[in-house]
Amino acid sequence: MPVISKFFEPDSIAIIGSFREGFFGSHVMIKTLREAGFKGDIYPVNPSYREVLGIRVFPSVAAVPAGIDLAFIMVGCDTVPMIIGECASKGVRAVVVVSDGFAERNEKGARLQEEIVDIARRAGIRIIGPNTAGIVNTANGFNPCPYEAGYSKIKEGPVAICSQTGMTNPQAYPYADLGYGISKICDFGNKCDVDECDLLEYLGNDPATGVISMYLESIRNGRRFLETAKRVTPRKPVLVLKSGRTPEGARASASHTGSMAVDDRIFDAACRQAGIIRLEKFSELFEVPKIFALQPPPGGNRLGIVSYTGGVGVLATDEALKYGLAMARLTDDTAETLNSIFPGLGETPVDLGPVAAARAAGFMDLYPRVLEAVSADGNIDCLLNIIWSNSSAGESEEIYLNLYRKLKRNCPKPLVTWLYGSSLANTARLARKLEEMGFPVYSDLEAAVKSLGIACRYRIQVRRKGGNVNDPCAD
Amino acid sequence: MTLVLTEFESKKLIGKAGIEVVETRLARTCGEAVTISKEIGFPVAMKINSPDIIHKSDSGGVKLGLNDPDGVERAYREIMGAAASRHPRAEIQGVTVQKMAPPGIETIIGVSRDPLFGHVIMFGLGGVFVEVLKDVAFRVVPVTGKDAREMIEEIKGYPLLQGYRGRDPVNIAAVENIILKISDFAEKNPEVVELDLNPVFACADRAVAADARIILAAKNHVNL
Repeated sequence: MPVISKFFEPDSIAIIGSFREGFFGSHVMIKTLREAGFKGDIYPVNPSYREVLGIRVFPSVAAVPAGIDLAFIMVGCDTVPMIIGECASKGVRAVVVVSDGFAERNEKGARLQEEIVDIARRAGIRIIGPNTAGIVNTANGFNPCPYEAGYSKIKEGPVAICSQTGMTNPQAYPYADLGYGISKICDFGNKCDVDECDLLEYLGNDPATGVISMYLESIRNGRRFLETAKRVTPRKPVLVLKSGRTPEGARASASHTGSMAVDDRIFDAACRQAGIIRLEKFSELFEVPKIFALQPPPGGNRLGIVSYTGGVGVLATDEALKYGLAMARLTDDTAETLNSIFPGLGETPVDLGPVAAARAAGFMDLYPRVLEAVSADGNIDCLLNIIWSNSSAGESEEIYLNLYRKLKRNCPKPLVTWLYGSSLANTARLARKLEEMGFPVYSDLEAAVKSLGIACRYRIQVRRKGGNVNDPCAD
Repeated sequence: MTLVLTEFESKKLIGKAGIEVVETRLARTCGEAVTISKEIGFPVAMKINSPDIIHKSDSGGVKLGLNDPDGVERAYREIMGAAASRHPRAEIQGVTVQKMAPPGIETIIGVSRDPLFGHVIMFGLGGVFVEVLKDVAFRVVPVTGKDAREMIEEIKGYPLLQGYRGRDPVNIAAVENIILKISDFAEKNPEVVELDLNPVFACADRAVAADARIILAAKNHVNL
């Protein structure tokens, strides 16, 4: 078993820190782990405590009566080198340094960080951190979040989130509310040792992970990054958001992480060579993977659009072309079917506005026939459906849900949805229900179209490279 | 410590790497310049050859389109005169006499060293396209044939290479081939700090490098 897997699949962990109750710390970590259903052995270590949450506390790492796969260190930064030394003597190979006060703080902290790296290297220990709280493996209930997040269980699924910021950790992002599932979460913190390449390698081989979404501020080894990513991208999509896209941003990023500024033009070239999909916004780290997590891969790039307004249909068309999608032309059969439902309806984008206005109450009876006809059209590879959640939400909501249930069984094409309407509560409720059913709903129209575009581009890229995608995402 | 190779030395290395270079010979005297120009055929171009003069045309060290022996003699005297007055301490090895480049579209192929990724290769169209519009594409060395093709297609000026307003398309495969060979050259020679083929003329039937500059990280003399 490679050492990196001990960070996610430990059978036994030691937690070295204070067990005083509060909203942050070792005490919370043990509570979260238990609530999340972690079954491995937990060994709290602190000479001043006897027991915490009914678990025996050991006075030192050496006193733990069994082997330790992974140690969490949450002590003052000056004590960290000593504790890593104790871990080394105990034969621990994987350590997460939660403590802060290292390179992110000042010169003295930077020297301290070098010292712990040095001790770890000599002992063959790998470190994640320092200054990190984030590791999660949903498959074994391993959620050692040291913050009170208000939840501990995260739905299992194919999306791995890796990042160089705490902004993607369970205390900062509402994982429990997501409609899609997560495989692993990892926050590198100061990234003194374990880095993006180690994680790419591990997640690339992780059968539970189908898509990797990464936020990076720096790259430790450009060549290794390129070579590792090249091996992973034919098997699963790798999405990367990198800060520092402007020279000013690059300088800020370099000083934040204490590493070399990355020339964005060169990084972009490397991504193209490696088959990495670059993201542009923080929200995309979570929005774009949904299409891979929830929907089947598109068979081609011909997009069909069903919309309640012509304007939005045109906006979607503009976006679609930006991301390499082509506007589908309906087959004669579909056009005829639609025209028989309402004259002039048989064209993409399919504009429901006039029908809704003309048929008023009777419209929702026609609606399912329209979407079913369009989704079954042989000229359409992927579909954007724009839903208007009207004020009589209760009735129409049921019609939408029934229709989507049917599509889930019958439609082998990816379908993305954007919802709008006069009530935030109604649209949010319907969005959530659709996502729980397995249909990605996007916060804005452009994100919905872009995700489809990215899914198509990835599909084409894999085909060209002759790669073998076993689609762990699509069930 | 870096070593700047002269155009003559750089072209020799590039030629050995299998890249087509306009015929370039070194003349140490005015008489030699005339003899060489007769042998390679008029019109010719002449350029100062000195390890100490990098910006040759800014220093009055380049004369183009010389059509006869008189022109060559006059150009020789002017180039040498300019060099003596503007770069009195420069080591002058002579002038290169070169065949005028064939008509084509000016492109640039270059290599530099990125601190994170190592050798990177650049492709773009020459002149204002690279200077003002920065219309260039990069890849990390080594590149594949697919990478080379994508670099060419990536630049905004690509339609110019495909032939526009009735002009013949250029031989894109020949440009691709130079990119691949330069990538190979950079990979085999880690001491290359910078390499510029500027311009490379992309023509309907071939692609030819008309100027070359190589900078090496080197302490000592390099055997050519």
